[in-house]
This record gives sequence, C-alpha cells and structure tokens, in this order.
Amino acid sequence: MSETQKMQFHHPKTRLTRRHFLKVSATGLAAALGSLAVDLPPQQAAALLARRQSGTLRVAWGGAPVALDPINASADTEIAFLNAVYDYLIDTDARSELVPRLATDWSVSEDGLSYTLTIAEGVTFHDGSALTLDDIVWTFERLRGGGPTADLFADVESVTAGEGNTVVFTLSQPNSDFLYNLTDNHAVILKANAEAIGEEFNGTGPFRLEDYRPDRATFSANAAYFDGAPPLQTLEFFYFDSVESAVNALRGGQVDAVLRMDNATFLSLSGEGFQAQEVTTSGHDLVRLRADRAPGDDERVRQAFRLATDRQAIFERLQFGFGAIGRDSPIAPFFARYYTEDTPLPDPDPEAARALLSEAGYPGGLEMTLYVPNLADRVALAQVLAAQWEAAGIRITIEPQEEAVYYADSGWLEVDLAITPWGHRPTAQTFLDLYLKSDAVWNEAHFSDEELDGLIEIAGTSLDEDERTNAYHEIQRILIERGPIIIPYFFAQFGVMAADVSGVEVHPFAGRTRFHSAAIG
Amino acid sequence: MAHSIRSHLYVARRSWRASRARAAGRFAREIIRSPQSALGTAIVLFFFTLALFGAQIAPYTANDQSNPPRQPPTAAPIDRLRQVWEDPARLFDADTYLPGAYPFGTDTLGRDVFSRVILGASSIFRVAGFGTLIAVAVGTALGLATGYWGGLADEIMGRVFDALLALPALLIALVILGVIRGVETQPGTPQAMLADNAVLLVIALVYVPIVARVVRSSTLEIKQREFVQAAQIRGESAGYILFREIFPSVVPVLVVEAALRFSYGIFLVASLGFLGVAARPPSPDWGLMVNENRGGFYTLAPWALEYPAAAIALLVVGVNLMSDGIRRAVQKSG
Repeated sequence: MSETQKMQFHHPKTRLTRRHFLKVSATGLAAALGSLAVDLPPQQAAALLARRQSGTLRVAWGGAPVALDPINASADTEIAFLNAVYDYLIDTDARSELVPRLATDWSVSEDGLSYTLTIAEGVTFHDGSALTLDDIVWTFERLRGGGPTADLFADVESVTAGEGNTVVFTLSQPNSDFLYNLTDNHAVILKANAEAIGEEFNGTGPFRLEDYRPDRATFSANAAYFDGAPPLQTLEFFYFDSVESAVNALRGGQVDAVLRMDNATFLSLSGEGFQAQEVTTSGHDLVRLRADRAPGDDERVRQAFRLATDRQAIFERLQFGFGAIGRDSPIAPFFARYYTEDTPLPDPDPEAARALLSEAGYPGGLEMTLYVPNLADRVALAQVLAAQWEAAGIRITIEPQEEAVYYADSGWLEVDLAITPWGHRPTAQTFLDLYLKSDAVWNEAHFSDEELDGLIEIAGTSLDEDERTNAYHEIQRILIERGPIIIPYFFAQFGVMAADVSGVEVHPFAGRTRFHSAAIG
Repeated sequence: MAHSIRSHLYVARRSWRASRARAAGRFAREIIRSPQSALGTAIVLFFFTLALFGAQIAPYTANDQSNPPRQPPTAAPIDRLRQVWEDPARLFDADTYLPGAYPFGTDTLGRDVFSRVILGASSIFRVAGFGTLIAVAVGTALGLATGYWGGLADEIMGRVFDALLALPALLIALVILGVIRGVETQPGTPQAMLADNAVLLVIALVYVPIVARVVRSSTLEIKQREFVQAAQIRGESAGYILFREIFPSVVPVLVVEAALRFSYGIFLVASLGFLGVAARPPSPDWGLMVNENRGGFYTLAPWALEYPAAAIALLVVGVNLMSDGIRRAVQKSG
C-alpha cells in the first residue's frame, strides 16, 4: 500500500495531500505570527517562532574562544563562556556597582586589611556536589600562584575559611578597590582540585555545557541553580569569523542577539525592528606621546598636541555621538563619582599650538610617525588626528601595523607617538596603575611625575571616600595641565537583540553580560 | 658625385622616416579599428589624462576633511538616468549635466570621493607603469642574452625564474613588502628611496621572469633565421646582432606582453593597496580606499567603496581591451 493509501485508511475522512498539509501548516504559521502582531521579515518571523517553541536563545559573537582556562581567558567570547558555566563571587553591573553573586554580603575591617565575604547557601556544582569554602580558597590560591592574575592578587596575604559560611581575605596593604579585584574576569570559582580545567567545565553556573564545537557552544539550563533556574531552556553561542557575519546572521534570523559591534554597524541596524542597547564604557583609544625624550619631554610640546586636537569633532565624526567625550584622562564619565569637569580643557587652537611649538624650539613644526594597530576605527582616528594636527604644523606619517606586530617585542611601549586601544575596566584605578604610574608595567608614555605618583598612591590605598575623590580630581587636573596622553572619547558597548528577548542587560565588557534572567517573549 | 650621394641618402632617410611614420599610423588605426579596443584605448587615455592632470582637475585635495561626511553622490549616473526617465523635460535642463557639489559623495571622514579617485589615478599609473617598464627593460635584456648565448647562465637563470614563477605574485609581493616595512630607514638615504619605491620594484621583480621567458623563446626562434645568420657571417658584433637584428623582431611579441603585464600590474597594485602594504593612509590609493570603507563604514557610505572599486575594474578592463587591439595590430603588421 502506498503512504497516501495508508493515511486514507487511518483517516478516512481526509485525504492528506501535500497541498492540504502545506495549507494547514501555513495557516498555523500565519495564526501564530498573527497572534504576535509584529511586522517582521519572513526569516526573522520564522526565527521568532522557533525561539518561542524551543525556549532557545542564540547569541552570535564575531570571534571564537581560544583559551578557556580561567587563568588565561581574556577575550569576550571566552569570558562569556565561563560566565555561563561558572559563577563569580561578586559581579559588576552596567554602572560598575558591585552586585552580589556567590558572595551575598561583605564587610571590611577598620584597618582595611581584612575582607569577610558571606557565601550563599545551597550552591551546587553541575556534578551535584555542594560548594564548600575549600573550593573558593583553592580557586584563589590557584589565581595567586601564577599567570596574569598573580600580580592582581599580589597583595593578598591569605585566603581562609572564616566563621560560619564566610571567606576571609587578608591583605598586606590597604587596597580601596579590592572588592573590584574579586570581580576580575579570571576569578570564576572552580571546584577544588579540578582536573582538565579549560576542557571540562564543572561549575556552579546557571548553564551547563552540553556540546562544544569550533563554531558553536550549546548550554542547557541548570535547574538547580542557587539563584533560581534560568527561564531559558537552552543557550547557544555561535562563533563567526567577523562581526559582519554575525550581524548578517542576525538579520537573516539565524541568531537572536549580537553583542559587541562597531558604531557604524550599530547605526546601520537601527530601524530594522531590533531591540538595541547602548551602554557607555570606560574603554578608550589612548593617544600617547613619549614623555621621557624629545620632543615629548617638553611640557609645551605636549600642550601643543592637546591644543591642536578637537575632541568634539572627533567624537561626532567617528563615534557618531555614541559613548562619551574624553578629557585626556582615563577617569571617564563612567566613573561618575570621581569624574570632574572642574579643570577646563582648552578649546582647540592650532595657532596657539604652533606658537607653543616655536617656543619649545620647533619653529618649523614637528615631523613624527604615528603608529596605530591596523583596525579600521583606529586608522580612521589616526587620519582625523593627522588632519587636525597638520594645522598646527605637526606633520604626521601614519604607520598602521597588524595587531600582532604592534604589540610584538613591546614595540608599542617604545615608539614616540602611538594610539593604543584600551578595553573597559571596572575602576579608574586600574588604568592609572596599568599605564600612568611611573613603575607601571605598561607605562607607554614613560611618564614620571612625582605629584601624580603620590596622588595615584593615595587614591589606590585610602579608605576615605572624600580623600579618594579629591585625589582623582587632582589627577585629572595634572593630566590636563601637563599629561602625555590624549583621550578623545570613550566607547559605547552595544547589544542588538530580537524584540521579544528580555532580561538581558548589556555589560560594558560584553563577555560579562549575563543570560541567567533572559527570557523569550 | 658626393653631393648627389648625400642627397640620395638624405632622401632615403626622409622617406625611411616617412614610411616608419606611416607604419605607426597604420598600427594605431589597427588598434582602434574594433569597437572594443577603441573603447579600451579611450578608457586608458582617459585615466592617463587624469593621472597627468589630476591635481589641476580635482576640486578638493586628497585629505581635505572639511566637507560634511557621508554625503550621497550628487551625480550618480543611475539617479540621473532615472530622473530623466521620469521627466524627459530634464534633458534640456542644465542641472542634469552638472556634477553638483560632490559627484561621488563624501566618505566617512568628510573627504570628497571624486577628488580622491582622480588623485589616485596618478599613483596607480606611476607604480604599475614604471614597474612594468622596468620589468620589460630588465626582462628583455635578460631574455635576449640568455636566448642568444645560452649556456650555464641560461640554465641558472631558467631555474631561478622557474622558482619565482612557481609562487603567486601576490605572495612574493606580500613577503617582500612585509620585510621592507619593518625596517627603519633614515630619510634621504638610498635605503629610504628603495623603501619608498618598494611596491614599484616588487612589481618589476615579479614580472621580470615572465617577460624574460617570452623574450627568450622569441629570441631562440629568431636567431635561427637567415638574416641573423647572415649578420653573424658578416662578422657583426653581438650587440649589433641583438639590438639591430633580433630585437626589432621581438618587439611585436614584447609589446603585447607589456600591455598584458601593465593590466596585471594595475590589479596587483590595487590588491596590495587593499591589503594595506602598498600605500599608507591617508594616501588616495584606490585599493586602500576599498579597504578603508568596508565593514561598518560600507553600510553608511557605500559610494566611498564603490567608486574606487569601479575605477580599478574599469582601468583593468580598458587595458585588457586595448591590449587585444595591440595584439591584432601586431599580427597584421608582422
């Protein structure tokens, strides 16, 4: 008997022809879509339906994870992966406020040397075992023991279990932002004596890894998550070669969300029916002049560069108004408590810049090479700066270098004039410690100013908020008066999602965006 | 007697010159006989004019960022055609023919794309043109020498060229330019001059083997001919034989090969510009312009990429069509 005949036997009243089948399913689809009352292109409509039926959220990234061992992980894709299967003690939110996660409460001793964190009850790993204080202690011993995080936790003398369900961190010297150190990307809590770290993932996180391929990672919801089971059933990360491919997949309905893209792409996605989130970050492009040798060692030359730069024009033309304008200091508007506009930034004045250069012994202007990583946005910034500085008599040769070359052999730390992109960090202190302190590992500008060093020290160790705020204000003043850096803008971080996705708050560091509250519809 | 001999020679030389001029005229007419090669020649001459007089023609300088950014083109041919289609009266309106403020629009940094395309023509012609010229000169010399004398030098050169030809031209260019870019040079020294003209020399380098091969095989065939053997019997010097007997017979093949090399050379220069190893920003190199305006910028100002890309394509097609005409003219006159 043929199939059609068999069906006729079981359903004598209907003849299940292909036409009938298509009609029924088309009507069903139309009804389902009609009930949503949305006006979407067909691929996105189909994607929406699939999302609803399966409870799956598909997120696209323009890159793929390389290192998944928490000690070495650093890229957005890697951190996002870890953030799904593991937990941090403390999180930061979009405004860099501390948010409890595994640690529900914390207190600091009077002398600032002892931090006591209360750990949540009833937390279990994916394999069923309970989270103990030993796991936390073991994780931090591992982080302190070597790798990129050894420096970060260098001032931690000991990590021990405290009374009740608490962990105590004892420091050798006060560190006003220590709690932020605990939110560091690398500080996910592992199970004590875990093996095959970076290949097997037994964490406490809201999702557990089901499948991992080069272009896709699939996670299922952890029903036993201590903070409540996630509304999603499945979370999928798709890894594309580039942001362009990821955005094309979003337009075609193959994925539901893209985090991280450049300004121009974000601008072009507006008006296409997606939900767009934009959050200002503390990430910036650092334009720096070496201050330990000619010509940058003369304060007047540094001021000439500052006067020749029109930050407003750069912000409008290159950032399209996204993010925030910079004032030549890494203390961004993002750090609302410490940011100030007390010290006026001089208006762009190429003639005055030219005069200053003359005064400093360069009547014919300057000829310099500007090194920049070969990324479209930064090369554009270099060209805009070159045109602006030309009016002040500074003639620039732009030298784009592939990132691997730019950062190789510490070339970026040696050249006189360069643009270095710096990603978002949760505290202003981090930037100061990383590239403005005299003895900072990455002091690109080789800037050594006693007053500045003193203020950075105070800001980093004082527990008195007013004293810190004052120090940060003074630092901003010094940088405007004689600093070797120009920061024209701070980036925005973008997230574009289908309209029916909720519960996702884009984090300034894209990889720290959480999906544990994400829901469809 | 002497007077009449001299005047005979004078008349002979004048008529020789006249016949050469007539031959050249016939050659040129043959090139433009077919519509395709006429079009190709027109395109190449048009861009050549741009290359020579670009600085005078272009309304703005290459790096003038003072214009409003991302302006759409004011003279897009498609738009104009559509306007005329909708309202034929516009054919008589002067505005339809005027280019407007920004015929090809402005890019994301506020630079006029029309000016940049014009100014980019000169650098492509200079680099591809001189590179091809050097390749042809050196390749011809090597091809003639190895074809005529043969021997060990021929064997060695043959193997060296085989090795160079085994690698794609783009790959060789990338490796060499990558190394040269990494070396610091003092301005004014010979090394600096080498570095500045690196792309030109690399173009020459990758095409010398091909030209030499072609000239060598042509030489091998020609040196068997009677007039060459006659010259050898007469006792003429090798230089005379190579340049007065063999070379003129090689010229037809060489001219076709040179035209072809020129078209490949343009494409190679554009590719290297796209990959960012030829010109540095903010130079108006067409390949670099295509590279800079990809990705996010493309969605906001697609014309900033499309017009330079169209210029590259048009010039390459033009040179190819012209070289077809040259080949036909060479066959007719040979």
